Formats: sequence, structure tokens, C-alpha cells
Amino acid sequence: MTDKIVEKVAVQTEESRNQGRRAFLKGTAAVAGGVMFTQAASAADAAKFDPKKAVAPYAGKEEITEVLQDGAARKTLGFGVRKYPYGMPSPFEKEVQRRTLEWLTPDSMASITMTPLQSLHGIITPNGLHFERFHGGVPTINPDEHRLVIHGLVERPLIFTMDDLKRFPSISRIHFVECPANGAMEWKGVQLNSVQWTHGMMSCVEYTGVRLSDLLKEAGIKPEGTWLIPEGADAAALTRSIPIDLAMDDCFVAYAQNGEALRREQGYPIRLVVPGCEANMWIKYLRRIQVTDSPAQHREETSKYTELMPDGTSQRFSWYMEPNSVITYPSPDFKMEGPGKYYLRGLAWSGRGKVAHVDISVDGGKNWKEAHFTSPVLSKAWTRFELEWDWDGKEAFLMSRVTDETGYVQPPMPQMRKLEGTNNVYHRTAMVTWRVHAWDEGKNGGMIENVQY
Amino acid sequence: MFNTKKTIVAASIATLFTGSAMAMSGSSDKAAATAEKIDGKYAANYEEIIRKADGKYLDKEVIEAILGKDAAHGRDGLEGKLDPNNPYSFEVADSIDGGNHGNAQCKIPAAFIDVHDNAKANYYHDADYVARGFGTPIAESAVQAKWNITVDGDGRGLPDPTVGMSVEEGGKLYVQFCGMCHGEFGEGAKGYLPLAVDSNLVTSSFDDPAPIKAVGNFWPYAVTFFDYIRRTMPFWTPNAPFIGDAGYMGITGYIMQSNYIPIDAQGTELEDDTFYNSELLMKQNKFMKNQGNFFCDHRPVIHNARCMENCADEQVGDGTGNIQNFKQARRLPDGTPQYNVPQRMNEDPPGVGHSGM
Repeated sequence: MTDKIVEKVAVQTEESRNQGRRAFLKGTAAVAGGVMFTQAASAADAAKFDPKKAVAPYAGKEEITEVLQDGAARKTLGFGVRKYPYGMPSPFEKEVQRRTLEWLTPDSMASITMTPLQSLHGIITPNGLHFERFHGGVPTINPDEHRLVIHGLVERPLIFTMDDLKRFPSISRIHFVECPANGAMEWKGVQLNSVQWTHGMMSCVEYTGVRLSDLLKEAGIKPEGTWLIPEGADAAALTRSIPIDLAMDDCFVAYAQNGEALRREQGYPIRLVVPGCEANMWIKYLRRIQVTDSPAQHREETSKYTELMPDGTSQRFSWYMEPNSVITYPSPDFKMEGPGKYYLRGLAWSGRGKVAHVDISVDGGKNWKEAHFTSPVLSKAWTRFELEWDWDGKEAFLMSRVTDETGYVQPPMPQMRKLEGTNNVYHRTAMVTWRVHAWDEGKNGGMIENVQY
Repeated sequence: MFNTKKTIVAASIATLFTGSAMAMSGSSDKAAATAEKIDGKYAANYEEIIRKADGKYLDKEVIEAILGKDAAHGRDGLEGKLDPNNPYSFEVADSIDGGNHGNAQCKIPAAFIDVHDNAKANYYHDADYVARGFGTPIAESAVQAKWNITVDGDGRGLPDPTVGMSVEEGGKLYVQFCGMCHGEFGEGAKGYLPLAVDSNLVTSSFDDPAPIKAVGNFWPYAVTFFDYIRRTMPFWTPNAPFIGDAGYMGITGYIMQSNYIPIDAQGTELEDDTFYNSELLMKQNKFMKNQGNFFCDHRPVIHNARCMENCADEQVGDGTGNIQNFKQARRLPDGTPQYNVPQRMNEDPPGVGHSGM
């Protein structure tokens, strides 16, 4: 019953939304929203709108004179508490979801979905929109039965319950997590027209967990123990080799994500967090950490997640994700609304530390202006940037370029492709370009398109 | 037959810098002024230079001060990065001449001083650490029996040489449990990866299809194949008891045979009736065709200056200063570019996202 009502509301509102904002304000459609203004009859004359005398951006705009009506939300009682014991987004946001490109993988158990970056605000990805990457499907693990073992070149092999782990001192950190194949489909050329496709194999959340260094010290690493082989408890039993220096830097074992337990898609009950590094190293469903004196050379660090160069050699153990950035608004999911003022917004991040500068070019890289940050600037986390731009309605080529605190400057695509060819697959971290079509270009006027040099 | 490019590159390192002091960058007072070179190569006081530049170890001027102006630019700088004494090298000494069988290792470059600072601060030999006692001791044997299925690049963790079967028997198991997705001869099927192929890895044109990276032409280790299939295959029921170690060994033998991996320097290949076991696997581990062609990540190979105005042509547009020379995606019938998200709305099945609430 309630499902039907929600469905009906969704259909109604979808209709009203389709009739456009203009119709909505004029009150000609069934108004379902709640934001209304009252118009005082006497004040109307005093504030008479004169398009000729109006300040510049309002000059020429048509005044609305129809009396604003109350919407349905104003006339009826809303729903009560605990209708949704676990809250859900408004049905109007139903298109904001993880999506995949079916041709990427032959099945859904070893596949990937992308986060809708074009619809996100700030620097935190909601848990339900966190991108997914599975190598063997998602297990549903009972935390009471799950264990973490640390063994190998240690003084005391130890086994931990999930409750044991939560007794340790905890830390909470905001970090991005990025599949090294993020943007992989664009090495050979341009084909996708959404930030969700070009940069959505990543998310940024707050993790809470136990320092890996604490757990390793608890077991007592022997001096010859120089590598860790973490392993998952799922069907993929994913492994990567991690050098001890990297593990001791800032890794931790997380049990929480954005204030609640990890989602199953992200490793419930525990996952490894390897800040700034390839997401495949962040072993999910972590059950075992083997301490060894050499890397395992396993499939996910030799056959996969190695980068084929034009001369036939391949790079391996490419741990760190290079600094990267993208303009999320405007981007190919949007259309320009005419010449005028815009606030170019986007995300920048670096696997090696904090973002130091983000510069924006509207002329294909010839000239740059520094954007300012509208979010906290955190190490190995998304940083939100913004820059005011007066669009003159002419064709423009928007690019963002990050410089991180290590001094690395994000390169343009032709430079990266010249060095790394077209078959690298991973770490495509060069700049992207959004072409803004000129406003007078007919039906394509104001269209924003992913193009590549 | 192995260690092709790596051996050549390694040999060239020895002569590359001999007796020729690299030109130092003169453009940066903050860094270059204090550079002291080791053997005419790298600045011995790289740490001091980096700290003086506020930790900016990937800044163009800092890199040039430490490595010399031309030493590390682009892929041309690879030789320099293979020298483990290079502060920016990910390589560990023994991987250079030892190839995969010198226990190939990569490391965090010395120049990444923040990582090493943190690691030192959290270090495991920390004498002050007082164990909290929240875990429970467990016997190594309790972990080894079932949970530890790791076989490493040196073959540690492989089954006893008595465990195995003939290549032909392995082939039968392969056809039964693997062929439906990977093809009877490892040629791939239904979008799943081919396992056997002998095509060229390198393609140069945008229009070329992506190279297939199979066991024969790409995988650097043979033992990894055994580890991987036992760990994850068959896809729907990994580490299957009805295949068992002997079966996984036999399947490995069949795929090694399909990829023409030899067991000795003379190129002897597996016969159908060869009893395939961990000894043969370790022999083949030395003769993987592509094994000498892997290098540790040696990024960054790009270090640009942060240009703000009238940037040089090679940084602008197509790399020659032309901003109109771009490629765009194919167009849909309605004129919009392909693969835009609105085009895909309402396509997903019920229950996806939160539309099914």
C-alpha cells in the first residue's frame, strides 16, 4: 500500500518536474513541492519590476505576477517517524545511483559500478553511492564468525575477533579510494560523456578503525618481516603484497564507513585502508595478514594492475594514485543555461598527500586561474574547488589541473599518452577536457562534451 | 631467453654514468645550490634538499637538483630509476640482475620522505610499545592447514612433488571445469579472459585492438597461475575439493603446455603423458617469456612546472598549441554524444539504487 502511494507521488512529481521550473512557478502544474512565497498585494505596486531599470543580470527578465499557490506538501500531513527505520533519499533523487557499463565485464560478480560524481556535493560519498568493485561477488559475513589472523614472520601469531579489534585505540580519517582503472576506457580515445563514467571508479568516505601498525606491533614483527600479504575471506580471496614501510605509514583496518559499519559491498565486517594507494590493495573482508620477507607476485600484481608501456615493458607495484582532478560542474551531464556567471566546481585529490593548488583553464590549457577550496583540505582525500567564471557564450575548453603538496603538477593527456601509450589500462590520471559548445550553435548550443587531445 | 630488456638495461646502467658528472640544475637557488652529488649521479643530501623545499619531492626543480636536469625525464629516465641508489628508484638491488628469480622486489623510493618519516614513527621495533593483549595466540599450524593457500613467486607453499597428474588428465579437468568460460584451448569465451595466446603485446595505433595479456605472452610467473586458480577457480566454487591440489596442478600443466612454456633452456615442452608437479612448475617458472620485461613503477616520469599564463605549446591543446584538434565521442541518432547518463536513466532493473524502496 505505502509502496503504491510512493509510486503515485513519484509519478505525479515526475510529471510536474517535466513541465519545467517555469510552469511550476506559474502554478499551472500540480504543485507538489513545499517552497512557496506569499505576495502582498499592497507591496506589489511599490516593488513594481521594471526590466529597463533592473540591475544588469536581471534586466530583460520577465516578472512573475501570478499568485503563488500552496503545494500539496502544505495541504496534507506528512508521514510519521519510523516509516523508514533506515532512512532513504527522496524519490526525486532516484536517478542518482551507481551505474555500470555492461560491456566492461562479462558478469556482475566480477564487475564494477561507478559513483555519480556529477550529483555529489562536498567531499563525502554516501555509503549507498560508494562505487563497487568485486572480483568474486559480495559475501554476507556474520561478524561474530569472522576472524583476523596475523601470522608468518611474527613473534606471536594472533587471532582477533571483531570485538577484539574495536577494543584497540581507534582513528577516523577521510580518504578517497580509487580503482587504478578509473578512466581506463579513455586511454585509446574519448567515448564517454559523464563524470560518472570517466572518474566514477572512486569514492571518498570517513573510515574508522585500528591502526595497522598497532596490530602488527601487537603480534611483534620479526626484523626479516618486510612484506605483508593481506587476504580476503570472500570467493576471490584477493591478495596484494604491501611493503612494511607502506603498512607502517598510515594504513589501518577499518570497521566503519561514514559513521556506520562498512557496507557489504565495501568489505563488511573489516577492510584494509591503504590511503592514497590503488583500491585493489584495500583488501575487503580481511581475514589474514601474512608477514613475509618478499612479495607474493600474485595475479593482481603481475597479470593485472600492471601497466603495459609502448616499448613492451610493464610497470608493476604501482602503489600510489597520482594527483588528479576533474570539473564536475559544468560537465557533460549538464547544459549551459546561457552566457553569464558560472561557478566552476570540481574535485581534486592526490595519493601522496594534500592538494596544494587547483588551476582552471577555459582555453585548452593556454592560460590558468587558481581556484579556491570550498571544503577542508585533507591528506589523500577529495578536495572541493570552485572558481567564478563569466561565460561569454563562446566555445570554451574547460580543464582543471591539480598540484599537490609534493610539487607534482597534473599533466595534459597528450604528454601522458606519449610516454605511456594507449594500452596501459591503469593510472590514466592526466587532465580531461570539457568542450562547451558556443551558445549560438543551434540545438547543440551550450552542450558540454567530453573531448580529448 | 629470459631477462631480455631488463638485462640489457641493467648492463647499460653500469656504463651510463661512469665518469660523467651530470649537469646540475642552476635554476633553483633553494635546492640546487646545496646539491652534493654521489659519483656524479645523485645528490647525497637529497633529504636536506627536499626538506628545505618544504617536502616537495616531486617538484620539478627539486627533482632536477637531485637527479640532474636531464637524468630522470620521461621514459628516458628509466635507466636511472633502475639504479637502487637513485633516491627516486622503486627498484631493489637484486631485482635488476636477478630478474624474477632474484626475489624481485620494489620499494618506496627514499625520496618519499614523508612515508619513511611516518613508518619510522610507527615502527614495529618500537621498544615503548606495550602489548594490549586483546588478541588470542594461535598456533602457526592452525593457520597453515586450511587458511594459508599462498604460493609465492619463489614457489613457497607449493604442494609436494608427489602431488600432480598427467598433462592430459589435467586437460580433461580443464575442459570439464574451465573450458566453458575460457575456451577448450584457453582461447577465451563469453567475454572471459583467454589464457593462451601468442600475439604481439605492443600495438601502436589508436585503432588497434587492445593486446591480449595471457599466460604465455604476459605472465611473469608460472607459479602465480597455480596460486590463482586454486584460490579463485572455478568461479562459482573456488578451491574446490573435487579438483584438489593434484587437479589444480594438472590444469596448470595443461595451460602451461597450451602456452608452449618450456621446462629447460633447450626449449623442451611438456608431453601429454608428462606427470606434472611442482618441480616442473618451478622449472617453467624460469622460462616465462615476458618475465624480464617488468619494472617497478618508476613514476613520476612527468614533472612539469606549474605554468599560469601563455603556456608553452607542448602543454596546450593537442600538444602543439592547437586547441581545436580534439577528438570527440560518437554521436547518437539524436545528435547527443554517446554514453551520457541521461540516456541510461530508467534502464536499470528494479531494486537498483534506491528507486525500489
